[in-house]
Amino acid sequence: MRVRSSLVFALTVAAPAMTAQTHVVVVSGLGGDAAHRERFHAWAVAMIDAAQQRFGVPSDNITYLAERTELDPQRISAKSTKENVERTLVDLSTGLQAGEGVFILLIGHGSYQGDESRFNLPGPDMTSNDFARLLDRFAAQDVVLVNTTSASGDFIKELSGPRRTIITATKSPFERNETVFCQYFVEAFARDVADVDKDERVSVLEAFNYATHEVRRAYEDDDRLLTEHAQLDDNGDGEGTGDPDPATTDGAVAHTFVIEGTVAVVAGTSSDSVLAGLKSRQRELQQAISELRIRKDTMEPEAYESQLEQLLLELARVSQAIREREGGA
Amino acid sequence: MRLRRLPVRPAVPLLAILTLAQVASGQETEEALTAFRSGRYEDAISLFSRAVRRAPSSAEAARGLVAALREVGRYEDARRAAERYMERNPSSKELANSLGEVLYLLGDRPGAEASFTRAAGDASDSVLARFNLAALSYDRGDLESARGAFDHFIDFYNRNENLTATELRVVAGAVRYLSQTDWGLAQDALRAYDEAIEADPGDLEPRIGVGQLFLERFAFDLAQESFEEVLEISPGHPRALLGLARTFKYAGLPGAFDYAQRSLEANPNLVGARAFYAELLLEGESFDKALEELEEALAVNPASLKALSVLAAAQFLLGEEADFRATTQRVLEINPRYSQLYNTLAEASVRNRLYAQAVEFAERAVELDPTSWRGLTLLGINQMRTGEMQAGRASLEMAFEGNPYDPWTKNTLDLLDTLMQYPVTNTARFELAIDESQSELLALYVGDLAEEAYDSLSRKYQYQAATPVRVEVFPNHEDFSVRTVGLTGLGALGVSFGSVVAMDSPSARDAGEFNWGSTLWHELAHTFHLGLSNHRVPRWFTEGLAVFEERKARPGWGDDVSPGFLAAFLNHRLMPVSELNDGFMRPAYPEQIGYSYYQASLVCELIERDHGFQALVDMLREYGAGKSTPDVFESVLGTDIDRFDTVFDDYMDLKFAAPLAALESTHAPDGVPHRSREEIAEQARDNPEDFVAQLAMGTVLLEQGRSEEAVAYFERAKTLFPEYAGDDSPYWYLANIYREQGDLQQAALQLEQLTAINERHYVARIELADLRERLNDPSAAAVALEQALYIYPFDMELHMRLADLYAGMREWEAAIRERKAVLALDPVDRAEAQYQLAKAYFDSGDIDNARSVLLRALENAPNFQKAQELLLEIHGRGSQRMQEG
Repeated sequence: MRVRSSLVFALTVAAPAMTAQTHVVVVSGLGGDAAHRERFHAWAVAMIDAAQQRFGVPSDNITYLAERTELDPQRISAKSTKENVERTLVDLSTGLQAGEGVFILLIGHGSYQGDESRFNLPGPDMTSNDFARLLDRFAAQDVVLVNTTSASGDFIKELSGPRRTIITATKSPFERNETVFCQYFVEAFARDVADVDKDERVSVLEAFNYATHEVRRAYEDDDRLLTEHAQLDDNGDGEGTGDPDPATTDGAVAHTFVIEGTVAVVAGTSSDSVLAGLKSRQRELQQAISELRIRKDTMEPEAYESQLEQLLLELARVSQAIREREGGA
Repeated sequence: MRLRRLPVRPAVPLLAILTLAQVASGQETEEALTAFRSGRYEDAISLFSRAVRRAPSSAEAARGLVAALREVGRYEDARRAAERYMERNPSSKELANSLGEVLYLLGDRPGAEASFTRAAGDASDSVLARFNLAALSYDRGDLESARGAFDHFIDFYNRNENLTATELRVVAGAVRYLSQTDWGLAQDALRAYDEAIEADPGDLEPRIGVGQLFLERFAFDLAQESFEEVLEISPGHPRALLGLARTFKYAGLPGAFDYAQRSLEANPNLVGARAFYAELLLEGESFDKALEELEEALAVNPASLKALSVLAAAQFLLGEEADFRATTQRVLEINPRYSQLYNTLAEASVRNRLYAQAVEFAERAVELDPTSWRGLTLLGINQMRTGEMQAGRASLEMAFEGNPYDPWTKNTLDLLDTLMQYPVTNTARFELAIDESQSELLALYVGDLAEEAYDSLSRKYQYQAATPVRVEVFPNHEDFSVRTVGLTGLGALGVSFGSVVAMDSPSARDAGEFNWGSTLWHELAHTFHLGLSNHRVPRWFTEGLAVFEERKARPGWGDDVSPGFLAAFLNHRLMPVSELNDGFMRPAYPEQIGYSYYQASLVCELIERDHGFQALVDMLREYGAGKSTPDVFESVLGTDIDRFDTVFDDYMDLKFAAPLAALESTHAPDGVPHRSREEIAEQARDNPEDFVAQLAMGTVLLEQGRSEEAVAYFERAKTLFPEYAGDDSPYWYLANIYREQGDLQQAALQLEQLTAINERHYVARIELADLRERLNDPSAAAVALEQALYIYPFDMELHMRLADLYAGMREWEAAIRERKAVLALDPVDRAEAQYQLAKAYFDSGDIDNARSVLLRALENAPNFQKAQELLLEIHGRGSQRMQEG
């Protein structure tokens, strides 16, 4: 995982010498029937393939637990029992470096019983409190937990915290109809559809926005009332939002979290000093554009447009030079 | 002051004012009363008459007789019966009130007042007489005095215990009057009615009162329930039937005509029913019949304010100005504050599309009586229809303050809360008010199409409709319905008020249910027809002409011929042209309105064929001059309208000769009987000229997977009835078969023929575009997609495809429009959509817009490589130009 410089919202850019990797845990819960088992498996595989093939996450960094291991013995590490989920996360927490990223995706059915949201697993279910205890082990890491099940809304309240992005497919535990959020959330990573800022990566915020947009469209197309309202919380206040705005509510952390496997060398460490200089200038320009956008409302429109164009033009030239230097276009 | 709870006198099994024990002819009177209350009026009259003969001094028997005679409309007999009693009992005042009530029904108001006054002193029914006096004051416009008198009945109720059923009903009636301006009293009125029913469950009068109270409060379900309760006891009760007729009309339910007719059958002299029936006829633009009804009504009661008001409306609509002035003067002489006169005129104007006049009349109503909440509602709604949005809102707010129960007022105010937020896009001659969520997209198409329609129609009609024309597009049908009629449930797709057009957005219905483009064109055609005819064009002609214009606007637009329509023609179920208006206003069967639209358009086609288009324009002008349809046919077409019916039938026979022959064997009124596959095969084999048989056989074979064999039957059916392009037409089946067989050219041909007739088939157009693209014909593909936009413009992929096609054909303007449409649909990948729009601008040579949009794309996505490259190219060109310069 790499903490990406915020192009839009951050006033300062963190420039780590080396980005960290993402550790991906996918848990597919109780299907209930063959059709659901297969659907959940398909979504899990799509996510895992995207992590591996599109973002270069090594297979060692990916764990897939499912209801039936025989469905895909090569990919599925173990049965998705509560015990195995706990063991997986405990083991993962012991081997991580500070600053690394953990991406947990829960697929399946959820329920709300006894004042607790539950993720339905073979054997005992897991509650939001169970996950809260486990996530506490990742205090030094950036964590994304996505619960795509029905009745998942309560997870935000229980799991919200610093360095955490918690996403739920529903707004409250009372939205109990089957959800389709997972399909579109996974699609955001698996296809070229969600990278709206065109940095060739898909942030968790971009994936969330894409999924909520497509869920809404799907319900409208089917002429159904929207019965799932996905939420995102990453400012630790325990309150999710369906329309994150990094400048005012949630989304700033999710905007910087991308799934990444390769250890990328960034500016400042390249042996090619020209390339390093170009990349350094590229970041400066990106930063300048971010800052200009923040000042937009306080500026005369003509002045803003003029400065924006100058910065974008230079950025375009520098980016072109980088591509040429790297042997690209 | 409010009613307080009082004990109720136990029920008595008689007319509330009768005491059986005191009646000499008690047994007969009791039997008569039972007959009267169960609706056996002739028996009741006979029994009451016998009781009166037996006991000439029995006021109860005489009152019963008068009441029974009155209920069936024998007012003169009733008057004589009352007078006879009074002659025989000169010192008695017991029948004075009954006589007054009859005299009132006969229009003798001074006589009625004198009688009520006589009874009000010490007659046993003096309470009723005092109420009638108050009602008479109210009826002549002395509202303050009347309200004061009504108010006394509250005191009367509060100070007396053990009131009779009749007294309770009188109290209820008085409080009901007061509730016109103090709506909270409606509950008290209801309570008093309930107590009256409790006191004498057999008395139907309070139940009628409850129904009327609910009707006045727009509680249509409860009103219906109350009137039906009465009819369960007395199946032919004329006033309960009238109550139901009115309830059905205001609730927008079919049946008002039937109930009004039944009411008049039970009491042919029920003036209220006849005036109501005449009002229905006026709404149906049957002016002559309405006048006949009103003549009858006024012969019974020349002072009926209701009948006179409807007469004034008829005279106004017919342009009989002198008579109209005389009638309104007559009404105002009787009651100078009778605002209902102008409300009636306003409502009649609305039903005849005279919205500006409706505003004027509603203003007069409010001037006469500032507490006429109905007048304020009519004023507000019609101000909105004529584009005076702010004034309309203000009027409605006042109406709501006075009467918060009026659903028209409340619904329209609720709608205004959102409608006033709609962004307005201005074009040269139009204001487009479209819901914010759709405005950016729809304005791209609505504005251009509206301007095109205006150019086309103004050229054809040599007339410039007043501008700006406001076009409102509603995202859901309920809002459109409320905008149009104040209530939900309207079946129409669009409406033209003249300078304001309102219509369903394509989102208001499922894709394929309607073509919004042809609907807009249709409504704008109405705007021209209304303007040219001073809003006096009859419904059938403007609808027919609007469909006719749809067909001229685009291939395939407008209603088409169907087997059902031709079967209706063969079965003589189409209206003759001379009565075609009834096909719209009073359809006899569910399909008749649809058939009437198409039939009316054929009439216009025929007129154009035989007399030229100018004749249609001249007809509009003649209607504008106030002429009736027969007169217009005489003056413009030089033909008697009845003779035109024959000409039209000949035209039908000629135009549809082949399909009529092909339907001859299957046009049985009961429809085509269900047949087995074997029977269908036999039918098809034996009847090669039978369209239905050939089509059915093709379908059977297709279902069996024998598509190759089905082709011959479908082709045969198509030859027999080539004008039919419904969803189950041979074209559709053949296109699918040919495509499966790999004959893309033939498949495309079938779909082109289908879409050249059928305006709503969305899927056919999408598939046609696919085929044309595969056949390397991007231009034809673009045409098909362009047509599809007029059915359902919310599919982003369609716009992207169309943009690509236009770009490939270097049609930059259209490509830019389509790229804008994609952006308007709020794509997730906004930067990509902005880049594509910038690229289209760039390719079209519009560098300034290209740069502007590109900056928006890069502002969102600064690292967007394609956009960066385009920016560099734009600047490269700029630099080059500077160097060259």
